[in-house]
Amino acid sequence: MSDIVTTFELEELSLVEKPEKKKPLGPLFWICVFWIVLNIVGAIFANVLPLQNPLYQDYAAINAGPSLHHLFGTDDIGRDIFSRIVFGSRVSITVGFGSMLIGFGIGSPLGMLAAYRRGRFDAIVTTFMYILLAFPAIIATIAVLSFWTPRSVFKIIIVIGLASVPLVYRVIRTATLSIATKDYVVAAKVQGATDRRILMKELLPNIAPIGISFLLIGVATVIALEGTLAFLGLSVVVPTPSWGNMINESRTVLQQNPWLAIFPSLALCLFLLGLNFIGDRLRSHFDVTEVKL
Amino acid sequence: MLRYVIRRILMLIGIVFIISIGSFFLIHLLPGNITAVIEGPGASPANQAKLFKLLGLNRPVYEQYFVWINNILHGNLGTSFISQSSVAGTIGNALPIDLEIMILSQILAFATAIPMAMRSARKPDGIVDRIFSAGSFTMLSVPPFIIVVLLVLFVTYKMGIPHTGPSSYVSLRSDWVGNLESMALPAVTLALGSFVVYFRVLRSDLIATLQEEFITMARSKGISQRRIMWRHAFRPSSVALLGAAGVNIGGLLAGGFVVEYLLNIPGLGYTLIAAINTDDYLLVQGIVLVVSVGVVLINFIFDFIINIVDPRISRE
Amino acid sequence: MSDVNEKLLVVSDLSTTFATAGGPLPAVANVSFDLNRNETVGIVGESGSGKTVLSRTIMGLQPRTNVTVTGSVLLNGNEMVGAPESFKRGLWGTEVAMVFQDPMTSLNPVMRIGKQIDETLRVRLGMSKPDAKARAIELLELVGIPSPKQRYDAFPGQLSGGMRQRVVIAIALACSPKLLMADEPTTGLDVTIQAQILNLLDELKERLHMSVVLVTHDLGVVATRTSRIIVMYAGRIVEIGSTRDVFTNHRMPYTRALLESSPKVSNASHTRLITIPGRPPNLLKLTEGCSFAPRCAYATDQCHQDRPELRPADQPGHSFACWNPLPVTRGELAS
Repeated sequence: MSDIVTTFELEELSLVEKPEKKKPLGPLFWICVFWIVLNIVGAIFANVLPLQNPLYQDYAAINAGPSLHHLFGTDDIGRDIFSRIVFGSRVSITVGFGSMLIGFGIGSPLGMLAAYRRGRFDAIVTTFMYILLAFPAIIATIAVLSFWTPRSVFKIIIVIGLASVPLVYRVIRTATLSIATKDYVVAAKVQGATDRRILMKELLPNIAPIGISFLLIGVATVIALEGTLAFLGLSVVVPTPSWGNMINESRTVLQQNPWLAIFPSLALCLFLLGLNFIGDRLRSHFDVTEVKL
Repeated sequence: MLRYVIRRILMLIGIVFIISIGSFFLIHLLPGNITAVIEGPGASPANQAKLFKLLGLNRPVYEQYFVWINNILHGNLGTSFISQSSVAGTIGNALPIDLEIMILSQILAFATAIPMAMRSARKPDGIVDRIFSAGSFTMLSVPPFIIVVLLVLFVTYKMGIPHTGPSSYVSLRSDWVGNLESMALPAVTLALGSFVVYFRVLRSDLIATLQEEFITMARSKGISQRRIMWRHAFRPSSVALLGAAGVNIGGLLAGGFVVEYLLNIPGLGYTLIAAINTDDYLLVQGIVLVVSVGVVLINFIFDFIINIVDPRISRE
Repeated sequence: MSDVNEKLLVVSDLSTTFATAGGPLPAVANVSFDLNRNETVGIVGESGSGKTVLSRTIMGLQPRTNVTVTGSVLLNGNEMVGAPESFKRGLWGTEVAMVFQDPMTSLNPVMRIGKQIDETLRVRLGMSKPDAKARAIELLELVGIPSPKQRYDAFPGQLSGGMRQRVVIAIALACSPKLLMADEPTTGLDVTIQAQILNLLDELKERLHMSVVLVTHDLGVVATRTSRIIVMYAGRIVEIGSTRDVFTNHRMPYTRALLESSPKVSNASHTRLITIPGRPPNLLKLTEGCSFAPRCAYATDQCHQDRPELRPADQPGHSFACWNPLPVTRGELAS
């Protein structure tokens, strides 16, 4: 139930107490949360789940369509697609969350500190970061990863993680700036709360929602990036399944086996959709100033 | 105003300079023995050493950098060892292709996003809006490479148009119909991604603008809705759109590479990746430099345009 | 009752309800009145009384979504309630026009003022560009803007508040409407400018034979410029009558409270400002009975239980809604 009442009319009716409740998250939100958690659980416990062996090549069933035995069918060398998707989620999820951990682990404290302290520290670090930002990160990532062999998930996480630091820095810094100048923070300061820790109690809780939502959207972006890298042959090495890998492999057998393209794509897109949706909902839930659109 | 422009140009030069350093060192700090590659397998260490000296690779890195920069300022990006052709020439051949894809995709994106955003903004949360918004949100979660694969699947599978195999690119000069055909897939793929961004930004900004008092006043003058949308609402909202476009196009240059590579279109992306695979470091360096400078330039131009449209922004 | 066609505006049982997150909000409820040609009526009330929503609803400018309007508004015989936007658009500008409260937000900030006037002329009257420009300059002169030819190209931000409001008036008058809705046209302007603008409106309505609906919270504004006054509270009319009757023969205690609480120059300095105790009611949670009862010094039990309807007073054309009205007086509170 949205109301597009013009702002002026709301002012006229300002004597009516506007409902203070935040926008509800909605059932769809929780469905997405469930889906994401399901994927993560699947990734963690893949070994103990009743899945086919993802590496076993069953030459009797090449490019088979979905069946009871192979839920999503098999790929061009007979491996079960479904189990490869579940195992493949490990790569995507680890890369996604791992690199965001690095990015946020480095970027957020720097950003918050810079925004709060201002002065020289802020000027130097921010200029540095903005220059880094001007450099197209994707190209650097591609270049570095292609030369830094042999590839591993760990290296990918490090490269993407570091590459994301400037962006995280900028977002967190901007968010902190807008909160740090708010009256209640200034008031706390004037009241003598010189202890920076106390102010972290004011700043951090307000930045956390934006940060988390951005983190989730960042994870989604990184996972998409991993897929892109896989297409360039820069992700994990072939027998190990990853969503991007599988979609890449499917290109050569597209006409014979569309399932190899469709199922991993679906898995990837649905996971991303879930992440994006959660991130977006969180953002609008906590942004009280935004008129519901 | 003039001061602002000069300040920005200086910043631009500074950034480009730093980028050039970055590109150079990025390549040179990476492992990989260039001489082994050039000589080919089975090359003797002695020959490699000779080549090493010949290429000036034994000189300190910063000296190599200055030589490179010096050459660039004279318009010489070097000659690739691998392909034996001039780097600048290779880039020069590949760049227009990228430009064409970009232009086509952006035209498509704007031509669809603007009317659809207007339609949505007129009746927010109406059926049309819900569909468009949900649709575009979903599209957000579909990375370009998947779009490419699915489009190819659709095109070959359903419509029976073969599209695999070596370069299917046809240059503009030889056959413009064929050219458009081969450009269609990459342009549409990139357009989809851009469309999503533009639609969301414009829609939300239009909705905000439409709530302003002067829109009600314009209504009260008896002006048609279409006129209000285009003449009154779009103007202020276009600022946000331009901002999004600047960021988006900057990212497109880099991101569109994968699409090119996948569809065998010999643009910069394809060339870059091929260069990486063949260890053609000089070419890689050149492309990285050109692309980075290009992105910075685009951002700069867009900032400038935004400033003209809405001078309030230049007061940071 | 005189012939309906004689009257410029006939409002019958008009109600406007907003659908909000907290429930239905009856911003305007059961309002009826009419307006003759060349007549000026004032609608007064505090913020939240519904007077602005009323003026917009009369004009048909209420938002299109989440709003329900019932009743009838006959503008020159044309029914506005429920009419499609295209129909209303045909009347806007040429039959009825509005002057908005804040000229800074009601003018398009990135469009030159000349063009904003032109637009009306060209779109509604089909004038050519040069004709429209000439007429626009005439209009600027009419509303008292010096050097109109130069000002034609100005942006709203380059003009002072009073000038901007004159531009808004010029735009409203461009197609010679018969009815002008002026919604708090001077609130937010300097006091000295306020008088100028109001005088300008008076002058223009004489010259152009317009009727004016003047909406304001300031009684001083309507005292000398209107022939009739409508007093609103919580979305309803609580008193309506000729200006004189409302000022000197009012019966509804709210009207008196309103009159008493406006500062008067004739008071000695440092006279305490009388305020009305309490706050206007929350329209989402209206109780039974008279909406003013909680704040009324004369409220009886009946006032809290039944809502009073408008009853005629002694003078013709004067009615009020109160169970326990003030006694009839003679010229106690001269305006």
